[in-house]
Amino acid sequence: MPTSSDEKVRIGEATFPKPFTNGLEFNAPVHGTWNIVHIGFRIPSAHQIYICADNCLRGVVMTAAEMGELGRFSSVVLEEDDMTHSGRIEETTIEGVTDCLNKLPSVPPVVIIFPVCVHKFMGCDIDFIYRELGKRFPDVTFVRGFMDPVMQKRGTTPDQRLRKAMSDIIPNLPVNPDVISFAGSDMPAADNDFQTILEFNNKTVRDTANCKTLDEYLSIGESSLFICQYPAGLMATQTITKRLNRKFIYAPLSFGFDTIESELKSSGLNIPEGFIENGIKSCETEVKKLKDLIGDTTVAIDYTVAPKPLSLARFLLDNGINVKTVYLDAIDGSEEEDFKYLAEKYPELVLHSTIHVSDRRPVRSEGKILAAGQKAAWFEGTEYFVNMIEGGGLYGFAGITGFISLMEDAFVNEKDLRDIVPRKGLGCRSCI
Amino acid sequence: MKKTYRILPVYTGDVSGAASALYELGGMTVIHDPSGCNSTYNTHDEVRWFDQESLIYISGLNDIDAITGNDDKFIKDICYAADKMKPLFIALANSPLPYLNGTDFKGICKVLEEKTGLPCFYVNTNAMHDYSKGQSEAFLSFAKKMLKPSDKKVKNGVNIIGMTPLDYTSTDIYISDGHEIVSNWALNTSFENVMKATQAELNIAVSSSGVAACEYMKDTFGIPYVKGLPWDGKVQDYMGVKRNSSRNYIVGETVVSGSIAAYIKQHTGIDFNVIASTEITDGLLQHCDKRCHGEEEIEEALKDAETIIADPMVKYIVPATATFIELPHFAMSGRLFRKQIPNLLRTEEYLHGIK
Repeated sequence: MPTSSDEKVRIGEATFPKPFTNGLEFNAPVHGTWNIVHIGFRIPSAHQIYICADNCLRGVVMTAAEMGELGRFSSVVLEEDDMTHSGRIEETTIEGVTDCLNKLPSVPPVVIIFPVCVHKFMGCDIDFIYRELGKRFPDVTFVRGFMDPVMQKRGTTPDQRLRKAMSDIIPNLPVNPDVISFAGSDMPAADNDFQTILEFNNKTVRDTANCKTLDEYLSIGESSLFICQYPAGLMATQTITKRLNRKFIYAPLSFGFDTIESELKSSGLNIPEGFIENGIKSCETEVKKLKDLIGDTTVAIDYTVAPKPLSLARFLLDNGINVKTVYLDAIDGSEEEDFKYLAEKYPELVLHSTIHVSDRRPVRSEGKILAAGQKAAWFEGTEYFVNMIEGGGLYGFAGITGFISLMEDAFVNEKDLRDIVPRKGLGCRSCI
Repeated sequence: MKKTYRILPVYTGDVSGAASALYELGGMTVIHDPSGCNSTYNTHDEVRWFDQESLIYISGLNDIDAITGNDDKFIKDICYAADKMKPLFIALANSPLPYLNGTDFKGICKVLEEKTGLPCFYVNTNAMHDYSKGQSEAFLSFAKKMLKPSDKKVKNGVNIIGMTPLDYTSTDIYISDGHEIVSNWALNTSFENVMKATQAELNIAVSSSGVAACEYMKDTFGIPYVKGLPWDGKVQDYMGVKRNSSRNYIVGETVVSGSIAAYIKQHTGIDFNVIASTEITDGLLQHCDKRCHGEEEIEEALKDAETIIADPMVKYIVPATATFIELPHFAMSGRLFRKQIPNLLRTEEYLHGIK
């Protein structure tokens, strides 16, 4: 089946994993998801330096400004002369970073450097830059970021590579069997079965998304097991566990009971008696309550709310919830089974692109709509929405019941869509 | 080092400026870029998304298309979008990678005109300049491509040129002496409105980004122009009010700052010198004023300041002894102080403290 050139397609007629043809792109005014600036600030005490042209720089510097974090942010502007003189881009980058660091009240222990597409396009000698900076600032640990959106459609995204670069500075410490870490996510674990089980097993839990000090962040290197719950963090988790010779579990928020059971058991940890059975029962009870509350209200889901939006759609549809639309532009490989299931059982479910040119004029229906995610809320024009991104740190049966509670709350309590969705980086401080 | 910024944000870039200038004019603006320029514009440099639609897109350029210069895909995608969305014209904006590989935008415009039957023009941006340059290029390119001479003239009709939300929050202009506003380029306006521009007898460049289009309309349609915000209900050129050197400074966009300085001089006799921190300054500064590019130069220029009028972000780089009067500017501090941005067209309301 060919990809759809329209903005939407019935799932029964959609192609996997790319339902839509690439074309010009629209950008909805919805900004709750995190960008590389938000992610970089997850390393406590780290300073970020971007080296790029005005227009791109503006986006990242204002992200930091809106977070109230300009004190941990510097920039170097690239101009035409940096691109027309041989060797100038390396010189501007090195001297610019040096100048930025020398202007700070004290040199930070960790500095994340972000060259851009232009550096790559010009064949800039990045290794030379880091060697020279290493000589000038021997006490600084440099994290090799990259802001090169030109690469994001093929291979790894800047976001994935940044997470990897951030994990590269975690040292190989002696293994502590009592320490287990969540890694690679932006959202700290919350309503998360792994957390409950880790506590049951008397483990010390660390979380790359929730470190208060640099020492705490670096001490993640003693973890005996890593739990990754966000797709963009998987490459970082795979890399660090390979380097440190540790185990990892990849378990993003899923709404399939079998998947959850299998992932929890794969940890090798003791699971409390009746934990699985009670968890399933509790999910079934709660979703019935949700159905009683919302009846046949139309539900729309978007890909920013959880890493597995099709798993969510499947769970809700199987429990009688009237899911009409899932907003996404591509489908993660891990959702193939859910895709096939939905295509077969609910072929009328609509997949709707979020970047298609027609999306500039969204057609909004009448009546109350319950949305899961900011983008779904904007496209549907509803103020009844679950304001969550990236799975919100939820996982397992507790995660599912937690999510259902959020849907119930969203159905009852309106939110200020215009105020909420333009704010960047949900969960971060916002000064606007 | 001139290229480094410790605390100040860079101004809104030229690509955002171009998109902002064309936002309300009914066309389709396509930024040939992977995504950085568009998300910056969308998030930080545009306030109209929720109330007014505009066909602003990116090409979604990837590395292979950039390296191989795959213009066919770009053209095909634009044709599809134009057919689907029915814009009145197409404007193309450049970004760093197509700039580096020398993409022939003018050639692409010709192809697009043939294929779509729509007027198509190139806005010369590359993401390495500030918004004033991008707006200026957009207004000028639009004027060159779209405007036609008019037999009809509106007596005392004026065009307001160079107005976008990056500098202005309101179009509430009061001009006495029987003047009638013919068109506004381009805030609270429309395609039909700006196309009436050649019926006017006078242009007013209310920002530096309006000057190039005014020059063009003067040369091509014989419409004279003045520079500056009208104040006290009068159309006047701010350059006509002579100012002397002082240690009072106003930092910001050239024409807006010059106009405010002129207003203060005329009403209080106090001299303020303009520190023009945006790019277009030719013929727009007096001998006592200065063009400053970047944080370091602004900091240096303000070292001896007694009084400073500037965006609140500038406070971080000025002497603690200086009296600081906040004048938030959307193109600098973006959404941070948006609610405090005054209506520049009501000078008397926000400058009552100057004595």
